[in-house]
Amino acid sequence: MWPDRRIIDLFKIEFPILLAPMAGAIDAELAIAVAQGGGLPSVPCALLAPEKAREQVNIVRQRVSAPINLNFFCHKAVEADPAREAIWRQRLAPYYRELGLDPAAPINSANRAPFNAAFCEVVEELKPEVVSFHFGLPDQNLLKRVKATGAIVMSSATIVREAIWLEEHGADVIIAQGAEAGGHRAMFLTDNIAEQPGTFALVPQVVDAVKVPVIAAGGIADGRGIAAAFALGAAGVQVGSAYLRCPESKVSALIRAALALASDDSTVITNVMTGRPARAVVNRAMREMGPVCPDAPAFPHSAAALAPLKLAAEKLGKVDFTSLWAGQAVRLGREMPAAEVTRALAGGALARMGKLAN
Amino acid sequence: MPIETTLTARLGIQQPILSAPMAGIAGARLVAAVSEAGGFGILGCGYGDRTWVEQETAKLRACRAPFGIGFITWSLAKQPELLDIALAAKPRAIMLSFGDPKPFCSRIKRSGTLLICQVQTEEMAKEALDAGADILIAQGTEAGGHGASRTTLDIVPAVVDLAAGRVPVVAAGGLADGRGLAAMMMLGASGVLLGTRFYASIECDADDEAKQRICAATSGTTTRGVVFDFTRSIFWPAPFTLRSLTNDHVRRWTGREVELIQNLSAVSAEYAAAKAARNFDIAGVFAGEAVGLIHDVPHAAEIVDRITGEAEQILSGRRNSTTMAQAVAAR
Repeated sequence: MWPDRRIIDLFKIEFPILLAPMAGAIDAELAIAVAQGGGLPSVPCALLAPEKAREQVNIVRQRVSAPINLNFFCHKAVEADPAREAIWRQRLAPYYRELGLDPAAPINSANRAPFNAAFCEVVEELKPEVVSFHFGLPDQNLLKRVKATGAIVMSSATIVREAIWLEEHGADVIIAQGAEAGGHRAMFLTDNIAEQPGTFALVPQVVDAVKVPVIAAGGIADGRGIAAAFALGAAGVQVGSAYLRCPESKVSALIRAALALASDDSTVITNVMTGRPARAVVNRAMREMGPVCPDAPAFPHSAAALAPLKLAAEKLGKVDFTSLWAGQAVRLGREMPAAEVTRALAGGALARMGKLAN
Repeated sequence: MPIETTLTARLGIQQPILSAPMAGIAGARLVAAVSEAGGFGILGCGYGDRTWVEQETAKLRACRAPFGIGFITWSLAKQPELLDIALAAKPRAIMLSFGDPKPFCSRIKRSGTLLICQVQTEEMAKEALDAGADILIAQGTEAGGHGASRTTLDIVPAVVDLAAGRVPVVAAGGLADGRGLAAMMMLGASGVLLGTRFYASIECDADDEAKQRICAATSGTTTRGVVFDFTRSIFWPAPFTLRSLTNDHVRRWTGREVELIQNLSAVSAEYAAAKAARNFDIAGVFAGEAVGLIHDVPHAAEIVDRITGEAEQILSGRRNSTTMAQAVAAR
């Protein structure tokens, strides 16, 4: 028996396990599998155009009758700064030459659009049961429109101050994202990576600070971690890395191989790949220029000049410039169908809690 | 009611709660208070001030419950004779942290004393098991004071798996209440070691103003680094760094450590003066990420009682949606 059913009842799901919306790594296929396993499916829209997001949701809806979480980034978009771009391109020039690329060739701009009116129309049309945001919340007008659809609004906090802010600004559920989590740090009221608390220090402090249900995220990838998160007062968990190597994930064979080799101390928080702090398995770019590099242009512009390098290196079978987003629990990732992973996580947690209750 | 685990059986104690050997401030008063409340207090011998060690171990002869004595291993290696003073006080266990425990093992074991080793990586856990550790403490980076980089959620189950039931594993780092104890038992640990929570207790020999700073701090206000060690000219071996409350001194020197070393005499003098003046904007308060869970300075015995009461409620399943909703409504 789950000690706390608030998330189960609110989302109307079988298990209080949320699929982390890992942009670029997952699509409808993995979401469907997690839904079939009893968890909450998430569709990450950060890298999608609105029409693609619509298509993904429709695929999920055709296959399962589960609630859906649509996830968006809501950073403040900043224009690329030509001076910083020039410094960055100069910094990357030796790599361009090494891979036989022209360092001066034009590059495409980075493609991470924040939540906007076009995305909001998609939400209004598709009415997902849950809408989650990363990097705070969108402006009040857009948020009001999202709430008017009846969607439960969720966002992530990395410190207590952010959790209080989110609750005050309308979040219905708060994800406490600890330092262990893979991918982008949700931080939006702080930029100090050194002060980011670990999941198990953060969760009870957020639980004490807000009235809305709290979901624990970061480093949780097995039943005992879930049971522990509930003991700390979480009403649910968000799981990412455990699903990365499932057959339904769209992580490439090359990245899968790199993730399979990763161990517990292979990941660091870096700003090199996109300009914003994010946890990933160390690659060559991070090792040689970071993990934190003052020259990396602001989010998401760092990624633009890295893109040609990523493509060229991957052709040679190398992940030197590929973002290997993963959390500290990357080694717990399993190569089994995501529905089975979900059921194993839930079963493991319930068994653990039951055993200690006796 | 006691929470019985393999740890409590091994140490002969009632509650699986250990107080950390915080250098110089976990004195005999705190150790006795924790141990007599059913937990296990550990004396913080720190950098080996012989007079202090003699004085505090002498006081512990009056302690009616089992207790431990803790050393910084690399520091003890410079003054191995301190171990004899410690063993003469008849502790139930010696706790060694930060360094190779092997050179001290046979002396500890011959005296019939248990060996507790604190570790931060699997490699260190293996080393400690090989050396004959009776109990392992898996310490996450959330911990206050010295530690390394892996988080509690990551290192605790890893060490539990490695120990494979041969020795009890205690969790440390970022824990301060019954939820933390229950959570760590879910992860497979058989107890917790708490530093910051006991720092803010009446019996801790720390400055009252420092204790108040801990009560006032929230999560996201601690930093792990080398600023205070450099300032005090205490040069720790890798991979150990120190977590403290983020104060003006941390903000001023983090990222400028080389410059700090270049100006060491001036900075040390300023630091010593601030410490004497109890100015904790500069003087360090070595606390962990659990600071946000700590709001008062009770007796150590009350801390032990609160933690066990809360943990028991969670472990037995008596804390659920209904009680959580009531707790939220009461706020």
